Amino acid sequence: MPKNITIFTTNTCGYCVMVKKYLTAKGLGYEEVNLDQSPHRQAEALSLSGAMTVPVTVVTKNDDTREVIVGYNLARLAPAVA
Amino acid sequence: MDEAAVQDIPTHDVIMIGAGPAALSAAIYTTREDIETLLFERGVIGGLAAVTDKIDNYPGFPDGVEGLNLAQDLQKQAERFGAVIELGEVTAIEDEGEFKRLETTSGTMRARAVLIATGSDYKKIGVPGELELYGRGVHYCATCDGAFYRGKTLAVIGGGNSAVQEAMFLTRFTTHIDLVVRSTIKASDVLQQDLQKFVDDGKITIHLGTITDEIVGVDNAVDKVMATKDGQKVEFKVDGVFVFVGLSPNSQFLKDTPVELDEVGLVLSNEDLQTNLPGVFVAGDIRSGATMQVASAVGEGATAALKIREYLEGRAHPVQN
Repeated sequence: MPKNITIFTTNTCGYCVMVKKYLTAKGLGYEEVNLDQSPHRQAEALSLSGAMTVPVTVVTKNDDTREVIVGYNLARLAPAVA
Repeated sequence: MDEAAVQDIPTHDVIMIGAGPAALSAAIYTTREDIETLLFERGVIGGLAAVTDKIDNYPGFPDGVEGLNLAQDLQKQAERFGAVIELGEVTAIEDEGEFKRLETTSGTMRARAVLIATGSDYKKIGVPGELELYGRGVHYCATCDGAFYRGKTLAVIGGGNSAVQEAMFLTRFTTHIDLVVRSTIKASDVLQQDLQKFVDDGKITIHLGTITDEIVGVDNAVDKVMATKDGQKVEFKVDGVFVFVGLSPNSQFLKDTPVELDEVGLVLSNEDLQTNLPGVFVAGDIRSGATMQVASAVGEGATAALKIREYLEGRAHPVQN
């Protein structure tokens, strides 16, 4: 189980809903950064992902290494949070 | 494979591939008939409808409905009757007579009937710069990525309902949008009237008969769109580009299966929405001849469910897991 999960989202993003739904189904908690409510954190999302898009999911593992998943990508998200 | 091994394969009455409006509607009908139903969704539940800002032509919503809300309500309704949605992918279908064998990301499964409802995704335009700058200034989902363009300028490429609808949505973030249209605006009259208000306000400029040639990047970000209008080169200096130029069918996984496709990759079916494989049905945007509307996808889903019920009734009793 990861140490920490942060998801950058917006209000209207259907793929963000899917990431949250997946993590909830797996019983995993997460911190959500809604960029509509916190537009000042856009640059942080961009610098983490290299892409102007959401969702961006940042998985911090127990050894403090980090994995950044751009979009709703189950092939990467599932192993990252396993 | 021996009989014991076959018995170990999870078996369902119906497996639906996709969980967009067509499949969710079908699942509402099948589960209400006590037909056990499993849906596989590899992308977003609700399909393209879920990433569409507003759907204005879906009956019953006089003020339109947000695509994400409609998708979530369809999901809730299907799940209320017992539909199970698995987040994963079907990679192959094989006809074994009474059962269809499916290879999935959750392993091998069998179903008495299958509904293909994988829908479509937005098509690429195929110009230089499009792939290289994807996610760094080139986008296909306004509701996902529009928020990154507060106070910036955009080009929206396309002239159909999606392009016009999403361009209007994006004006809530941007200072100006160049709407680059290959021929003429094909959006509905109502959308065109709405669009005119944004044109009058100076938020959107329409460029008809303008063919996009290249998306040019500088320092890994979009700098401008190069195009041709009346034989002359033109350019639009913008911070980002959103592309809505039609739909591409999600049928790649069927390429090596016996399911027959038409020349553009849509699934062929008869008047019962059944494919050439008995027990394998199709509904929604992925069906050859579909009208690519949420309302018609919902109708096709209901029809397919009733035809699946007829098909199952003509066969053995539903499976008991």
